[in-house]
Amino acid sequence: MIHFSFKKAAAIVLIANLFSNNIEAQNLNNYIKGHFNGSIENYSQYYMQDPKIGAYIPPDRYGSNTFLKLDYNYGKFSTGVQLESYLPPILGYFPVPVNNQNKIVNKYFKYTEDKFSVQIGDFYEQFGSGLIFRAYENRQIGINNAMEGINVHVDPTSFLKLKIVYGRTRKIMDYANSVSRGMDAEIDVNNLLGIKEKDKTTHVTLGGSYMSRYEEYAGPIVDFPASVSAVAARLDISSNSFTLSSEYAEKGKDPNLLNNQSFDKGKALQVNTSYTKNNFGVTATFRTLTNMNFAAERGTEFTSIAPLNFLPALTKQHDYLTSNIYVYSTQVKGEAGFQSDLFYNIKSGTKLGGKYGTKIAANFSYYNGLDDSTDIFSFGNKKYYRDANIEIKKKWNKKLETTLAFQHIFYNASVIQAVSHGEVNADMIAAGFLYKFASKKSVRVKLENLSTKDDQGSWASALTEFSVSSPYAFYASDLYNYGSTKIHYYNVGASVTKKSTRFSLGFGKQRAGLFCVGGVCRFVPASYGFTASLTTSFAN
Amino acid sequence: MIKTACITLIAYLFLTINTLKAQETNFTSIKLKSVSGKTIDFADLAASSKDTMVVVSFWATWCIPCVTELETINDELEEKQAIRPFKFIGVSIDDSRTSQRVKPFIKGKGWKFDVLMDINSELKRALNITDVPHVLILKDNKIAYRHTGYIAGEEDNLFETIKNL
Repeated sequence: MIHFSFKKAAAIVLIANLFSNNIEAQNLNNYIKGHFNGSIENYSQYYMQDPKIGAYIPPDRYGSNTFLKLDYNYGKFSTGVQLESYLPPILGYFPVPVNNQNKIVNKYFKYTEDKFSVQIGDFYEQFGSGLIFRAYENRQIGINNAMEGINVHVDPTSFLKLKIVYGRTRKIMDYANSVSRGMDAEIDVNNLLGIKEKDKTTHVTLGGSYMSRYEEYAGPIVDFPASVSAVAARLDISSNSFTLSSEYAEKGKDPNLLNNQSFDKGKALQVNTSYTKNNFGVTATFRTLTNMNFAAERGTEFTSIAPLNFLPALTKQHDYLTSNIYVYSTQVKGEAGFQSDLFYNIKSGTKLGGKYGTKIAANFSYYNGLDDSTDIFSFGNKKYYRDANIEIKKKWNKKLETTLAFQHIFYNASVIQAVSHGEVNADMIAAGFLYKFASKKSVRVKLENLSTKDDQGSWASALTEFSVSSPYAFYASDLYNYGSTKIHYYNVGASVTKKSTRFSLGFGKQRAGLFCVGGVCRFVPASYGFTASLTTSFAN
Repeated sequence: MIKTACITLIAYLFLTINTLKAQETNFTSIKLKSVSGKTIDFADLAASSKDTMVVVSFWATWCIPCVTELETINDELEEKQAIRPFKFIGVSIDDSRTSQRVKPFIKGKGWKFDVLMDINSELKRALNITDVPHVLILKDNKIAYRHTGYIAGEEDNLFETIKNL
């Protein structure tokens, strides 16, 4: 005991000595070598009751999610931690109940050389387009499937890049009860053949990846696959104006809760192509898949818990309040379809372009079910989703900009949300105005109407945003169902932004439904009350 | 045997620390591909800010305030660069859902600057960027200014800051 106290005292004296001798003599920036940076993010809610929209007060009237991230980089070394605190989590943030928790969830150490890097601890990684593996974080949607273990990158030659991962996947505030390992190899064909890089050279890349998950099985089925493997192969061709990317993936037998214990293999094919010219761009993506949900645990009830792969909805993410009532989410059991985008800028100086040009963006998405769940080419007639939309944006002068948008949606609610109200056909029209009335002062107005005879009937919305005195901004919006429910979902709020710090306060009603960010959706319950958020980033 | 191993380890650490002193950089090396096909190391890009200021704008095709900000900046870019020279580069955080749209999107908008593809948010995470849009001004290999969010008129603040730095 005496020995321990002596050691402790000696350590305190030593640390105090270091600080008194050095920090006083130099300023902190000179003392801290390397780059230190971090961020804090908090989102809090106070709940009130409104039975009309289905908003009820949970046992605790408050919800608060906080993230603190700190990173330090010195030469080839970097290290960091991430603390997360849910006291308790915002309503609907996690699909399963999570008690009050406060924990360091990420910690890592990384060493980087020119052609080699190794990271120990929690890391994020992606193979190809993510069909068989993607570890990532999306705080808005509540997904963090970082892997804890080791991640190695090696470029043994100028034409070969290797990635190796080995570890366990994060599952909400803990880790999945499994171990996963994988490898990705990418070959730069141009470098392999010694083709010299010129502006117009066509570039070809080949890739292959493998991922395996082992989760102990103690059940009665003799040939039950405790290990599940997935493989993928890809080809990318790109030139100055043309690109073609394709990836095919297959997953072994993976009976799990989400595929009703099916022993069928998983398959996916994704092909994308694009063409660009000055002021013009067009792209199309086709994807078909079946039984491709690949999770770190076969017992997970939701695709957002500990996923190993990434299967986002390949549709346009809209910024319109009414469009976001009917959003598609990937049907991992089986779907086939495509989406296409066209972007065109009518040049400035022309009759239609005016002084600043006119920007046109059109998009079309089409998804159907498969007839045979084992065949990804058995394109069926069952319609899942359609979205055809066009947006025309025109800047008239330095002060005024207008936007006009049209959209037609078909949404199969019985498939996408597994609810009984069937199919929805809707048409949306939106108009936006942005007026900058003085330097750093502006007003934005957006009006929308979504007309449908299906589901709850038609909706209208209005949104206005003022920035009258920088750094303050104010907003007010209302989403009104003038079909069957006659409910107003209004919101008012203000924000103040100073450099990289932003604080906002709001009050209003949130509609229950799918909340989608980055093509991944979660169901959010209805809520009514106050919200506050604070974000800041800092560095030495 | 153990003694030899310890001496070797100490010698290695000593050498590493000395190497570190010689190679100290402010930013970790993160290599990203640009839509024009180049591979750019962010540490090198930041180091180039010792000669000319570098303005980096983090954005995504689905982020309407980001697109509005970049459209406004693009309209005034050449005019402002003539007043005070600076390099301007975008970093798209579009993931594999929307990353294929980036090149047609910027060509279709007629943007004049290059864009780096941060497909799994590696650079965004390393720089602790929580939300987009987020603008960084790099000067003398350091972040001289950073701003999050965009409301029309915010570009005036940015150009003023660039002018005065």
